[in-house]
Amino acid sequence: MTKSLVTASKLCVERGNRRVLDNISFTINKGDIFALLGGNGAGKSTTLLTFLGFVKPSSGEAIINGIKVEEDIQAARGQIAYLPESANLYAHLSAYENIEYFLSLAQISRSSQEISLSLDDVKLAPKMRIEPLSSYSKGMRQKVAIALAMLRRSPLLLLDEPTSGLDPVAIDEFNTILKALADAGTTIFMVTHDVYGACEIAKRVGLLQQGKMASVFEAVGETKISAEAVHQAFRQSQPS
Amino acid sequence: MLHELRRELNHALKEPALRWLVLIAFSLSTIALLIGALTISHQKDMVLRLEAAVTAERLLTIKDKTDPGDIAYNLFHLTFDPPTDLAFMALGQRNERPWLHRLRMLALEGQIHETNDSNPEILILGQLDFTFFLSVLVPLIIISLLFDIEGRERREGRYELICAASPLGSRVFHIRAAVKSLLLTAAIILPFIAAAISNNLTILAFLSVLGLIFFQIVLWVIFCRIVTCIIPEAVTAALSLVTLWLLLTVLTPIIGKTAVENSLPVPNGGTILLTQRETVNAAWDLPKETTMDAFIHIYPEWKAQATINRPFEWKWYYAFQEMGDQAAQPKSWALYQGMTDRHEAMALVALLSPALFIERAMTELAGTDVLQHLRYVRCARAFHADLRHFYYPYLFNEKAMSENDLAQLPEFEPCAI
Repeated sequence: MTKSLVTASKLCVERGNRRVLDNISFTINKGDIFALLGGNGAGKSTTLLTFLGFVKPSSGEAIINGIKVEEDIQAARGQIAYLPESANLYAHLSAYENIEYFLSLAQISRSSQEISLSLDDVKLAPKMRIEPLSSYSKGMRQKVAIALAMLRRSPLLLLDEPTSGLDPVAIDEFNTILKALADAGTTIFMVTHDVYGACEIAKRVGLLQQGKMASVFEAVGETKISAEAVHQAFRQSQPS
Repeated sequence: MLHELRRELNHALKEPALRWLVLIAFSLSTIALLIGALTISHQKDMVLRLEAAVTAERLLTIKDKTDPGDIAYNLFHLTFDPPTDLAFMALGQRNERPWLHRLRMLALEGQIHETNDSNPEILILGQLDFTFFLSVLVPLIIISLLFDIEGRERREGRYELICAASPLGSRVFHIRAAVKSLLLTAAIILPFIAAAISNNLTILAFLSVLGLIFFQIVLWVIFCRIVTCIIPEAVTAALSLVTLWLLLTVLTPIIGKTAVENSLPVPNGGTILLTQRETVNAAWDLPKETTMDAFIHIYPEWKAQATINRPFEWKWYYAFQEMGDQAAQPKSWALYQGMTDRHEAMALVALLSPALFIERAMTELAGTDVLQHLRYVRCARAFHADLRHFYYPYLFNEKAMSENDLAQLPEFEPCAI
C-alpha cells in the first residue's frame, strides 16, 4: 500500500468575507508529482502557502508526513524544500555562495563535493558556478534553485510556478530533473499555469476553480494525463 | 546562535550596499572626529599664541610707565575657557559663544558681550562634530540600513523561501538586523576608540560616550524594527521612519526651543552693551560728584579720596566705567538667569527628542554646554573684579606703580568644571 505524504483535508481559508479555499481535499503519495492547476485567483498559491504555514486555515487540516502544519510549523517546514516562483536567489552571490547560505540557513551541512555533484545533476556549467547570479539566465537560476532543493534532501518539494518565464529547452531540462527526483523518491507538489508541462510530468493533476477542487486527473500506468482533456476542463472552469 | 550570527555576518559582508553604508558611517565618524579635533587644536593654539602675544604686549605697555590709570587702560589680560579632553567630541557652545576674551580695566559688560553669538550660521545649521553625527546623521544611516530588510526579500520573492528554510522562521530577520547594526556600531566606534586613545580619555568619559552611542543606535534599531514589522512595504516604512526622524530630530527641538525662548525672554548682549556704553558716554557730561557719589555708595572705603579736583582724573574715569557696568548688570544677570532657565526647560524637551538628549548629554560631558559657558563668564567677571580691586588702591591713592607692584598683577586662572 502506498502511503500518502501530503494530505489536504477539507481545507478552508477565508480572507475577510471571501472564501479563498473552499473545503478542498487531496492527497499526494510518496514519490508522486502532483500539479495543481487553476486560473488567476483560483487559490493555487494560497494552497501552497497553507502547507508552508504562512496562511492559517479557517478549518480543515494541512498534513505533511503525518505532521499537522498548524500544530508544528517548523517541523512541517523541515519536511519541505520550497522553490518559489522565479526563484530569486541573491543576484550578487554565486551559485555556490547562494547554496551555502541557504543550506546554512536551514542548518544543513553539505560538502563542497556534494554541492558540485548537485550542480552537475542540474547541468549547470562549471565555469558559471562562481559567477554572480546577476549574470545568469532565468533557466540557469532555476537550476541553482533546484540544486539547492535537492541538497536539502527533503521528502517534499513544493514548487510555485516553476516553469514561468523559462524557454522550451529550459522547461524540458527542468522537467527531466523533476522526473529524476520523483524517481528517486521525492514527492513533488507544484502549482502552475502550464497545463501541458504539468500533464507531461505529473502523476495527478488537480484543477482548482474559485477555491474548490473542480476535478482531479490521474495518469494510468505509462499513459500520461491528456493535456487536451485538462485544457478543456480548465477552459470550462473559467468564469464566463 | 553563534552559527546564525556568523552566517548572517558573512552574508552581510557580501552585500555591496551594506559595505557602502558601513564605509560612509566610518568615514563620517572619522571626519566628524577630525573636525572636532582640528577645531579644538586650533583653539588651543590660539590660546598659546594669544598668551605669548599678550605677554609681549605687556612688556611694551608697561615699559617705563608708572601711572596706574595709564597702565590699566592699556594693559590687556587674556581670559579663556580651556577645552576639556572630551571637547573634540562635542564643540557645543565653543563654536557658538565666545570662550575667550581680552579684557582690560574698562567697563566689563561691553567687553563680555560685544562678541556674543559670533557664529549665527552655526546656531542654525549646527557643526559637523561627532555629536552632530551621532544625534542627527546616525539615525538616517540606521534607517537606510534597516528599512528594507524584510521588504527587499518580499519584493524579490525570497521572504517565504527564507522563512521556510530557517528553523527560526521570520526571526532570522531580527538576527540579520542585529548583525547589520553591529557592523554599523563598529564603524562608528572604531574611529572614536582611536580618538579616545590619542586624547587620553579617562575610562569614565570613554564609557559614558560609548553608552550614549549604544543608546542612540539601539533606540533607532528598535524604531526601525517596530516600524518595518508594522509596515511591511519598504518604501512606506522608509517614509514613516524618515518622518519619525524629522519629528524627533528636527521639529521637536525647533518647536521646543521656540516655545522655551518665547516663554522665557532674555535681554540680548547688544542691549547690555548699549546700556553700558550709553551710561559711560553720559557720564562725561554729568557732574563728577554725581558719578563719585554713586561710586562711593558701592565702595565707601574710598570716600576720603573721592574728591575730583582736576578736569580729568583716572579714578573718576574708572569710577564711571564701573557705573556703566552697574547700570547694565541687572540685564546681564537676567540674561544669565534666563540662559540657565532655558537650559533647564530644554531638558524637558530633550525627553521627547533623542537627538537633543544626546546633544545635551555629550556637551555636558565635554564641558561645552551653556552651563560651562556661564561658569567661564562668571570666572572672567571674577577676574575683572580682581583687577579692579588691585588697581583701585593705586588709582585712589594716586600711587605710582613700581615693577614690584606690577609683578603682583592678578593672573587669570581658568575655572575648573
